[in-house]
Amino acid sequence: MGRLLAWRLSEKGHQVTLFDSGGLEKPAGACHTAAGMISPLSELFHCPLPIYQLGMQSLQHWPEWVSQLEQATGTRVDYRQKGSILIAHPQDRNELLQFQQELNAKLGSDKHDQLQWLDNKHLRDLEPELDRFDQGLYLATEADIDNRKLLPVLLKVLKQNEIEIRENTSVDCAPKAIHTKNGSEVFDLVIDARGLGAKQQISGLRGVRGEVMVVETPEVQLNRPVRLLHPRYQLYAVPRANNQTIIGATEIESEDRSPISLRSTMELSSALYSIHPAFAEARVIETRVNCRPATMDNLPVVEREPGLIRINGLFRHGYLLAPALVIQAETEISQLTQATEQVS
Amino acid sequence: MDKLKLYGKEFDSRLLVGTALYPSPAIMRESVAASGSEIITLSLRRQSPEQQQGKMIWDYIQESGCQLLPNTAGCKTPKEAIALAEMSREIFGTDWLKLEVIGDDYNLQPDPFGLIEAARELVKRGFKVLPYTTDDLVVCRKLLDVGCEVLMPWGSPIGTGRGLMNKYNLQTLRERLPDTPLIIDAGIGAPSQACEAMEMGFDAVLLNTAIAKAQAPVLMAESFKLAIQSGRAARNSGLMLKRQTASPSTPTLDMPFWQQTVSAGKEGESV
Repeated sequence: MGRLLAWRLSEKGHQVTLFDSGGLEKPAGACHTAAGMISPLSELFHCPLPIYQLGMQSLQHWPEWVSQLEQATGTRVDYRQKGSILIAHPQDRNELLQFQQELNAKLGSDKHDQLQWLDNKHLRDLEPELDRFDQGLYLATEADIDNRKLLPVLLKVLKQNEIEIRENTSVDCAPKAIHTKNGSEVFDLVIDARGLGAKQQISGLRGVRGEVMVVETPEVQLNRPVRLLHPRYQLYAVPRANNQTIIGATEIESEDRSPISLRSTMELSSALYSIHPAFAEARVIETRVNCRPATMDNLPVVEREPGLIRINGLFRHGYLLAPALVIQAETEISQLTQATEQVS
Repeated sequence: MDKLKLYGKEFDSRLLVGTALYPSPAIMRESVAASGSEIITLSLRRQSPEQQQGKMIWDYIQESGCQLLPNTAGCKTPKEAIALAEMSREIFGTDWLKLEVIGDDYNLQPDPFGLIEAARELVKRGFKVLPYTTDDLVVCRKLLDVGCEVLMPWGSPIGTGRGLMNKYNLQTLRERLPDTPLIIDAGIGAPSQACEAMEMGFDAVLLNTAIAKAQAPVLMAESFKLAIQSGRAARNSGLMLKRQTASPSTPTLDMPFWQQTVSAGKEGESV
């Protein structure tokens, strides 16, 4: 969120200073841990309508923004809008029906075109490796982005735009001021997007533990994110370059950041194996654990006071919501700037 | 008043609800309020209780003011369940415990042997144990023998929404253990099923998924509250017995009542 906002503001001619509590090459935030799905419909199954609405706005901005970033840096960001697929094992078929019912209830039946049933043939046309499933749901508008490519590209463009960046710097945010252990600095406006770092300032902000695994095998080639619906476990598998697949994610009401548990490893692995048995020989390349910043209603917050905007609570929707919230912040800042100009 | 009495405490509500699986903590709390429940379960198993990493959400749940019923969900051995029970007592300051010892991963069926062993030890340690059990009469009796004062037989496996799968066994439990508070725990998917459990004479119903996973959890919580009130009132009112033959309760206009009586007598052989 911070990098994206800093880039957008710098493009609009603002002078920006970016503070990051972690290192720039390997950020500490959930942005580095996530799988980068931009899936407003899939998320609507568990979430209230505003998440979907903001997510649809974000989907409109990502392609253009990615294109601008790629042109500016000459580096490719893998943004893919090939939809996503939901599947369930035969005995859990009702999970697909439940998903459809839930979406119809929240969106109305006029949104049927966003949700397409696939029989075995059409499923195989899109994802040949899923031939053991008889049916699935196709959400054509959804997308995903390789965050491990996006974050360095954003860093590169920030440097090109001569933004001042302070890494490994923990801060306290106040109206028009940033406090660090070395002292205080004054700014026209402070934007606090620290996630759980702002726990003391955002009422009810909590961390929700998420665990993710990255596996590698040349034997299974998926073309888009696949979600396996199950009464107890939820699994997504997001294909990445170099035969890698990100699988996740647990959601545990805990602020524990210790390594992934054996139980979670087994649940994620066995769910993946049930999608395709060739995953059995995949190599586990990496496990990731982080805490998602969430409010008690699991909705994002944008709080404003003179000289300070706080954006937080993106929960498991960082890449889904970030552009929409950046646009909100830009609008706020533009109004603020106009008001200041009128006064002067 | 028609109070639910469990371990010396009285409750007006006969609906116990879980706190997992909701779209958000805020909706969970609203749903609990709408359900009218006075007893809520919560799970610690995956939240690193030894480091209190889930404290924020526990505090949020505690603010409901309900009697907390920590559970041992996910435990597969008596040892695990007992350790978690001790942590729960320390964290929440309550000796009430929903005891789960799971014997099968797929349908989360209770392990009756581990359950009885754990219950015996926990009762000795002063816990007020509410065991989640199958509907087996002998297992239920053994649980009473080791000191449980309340039993929670399943309606059907957790999260299935299949309602009361084995009504014969459940009816047997009710008839053979008339003085034991019996709470139907798990498998309830619809308010009608909860109502049926209450009509059968069960003392209360515990559920989670059917509310938490509903499209409108708060509204569903309220509908379960009403169904359970309705079922309890029906039970207390005395349900009519089913009859083989339809019998009009008022005379039809075109037929004198004495003819109807004769006719009914001939058909039903009961007059």
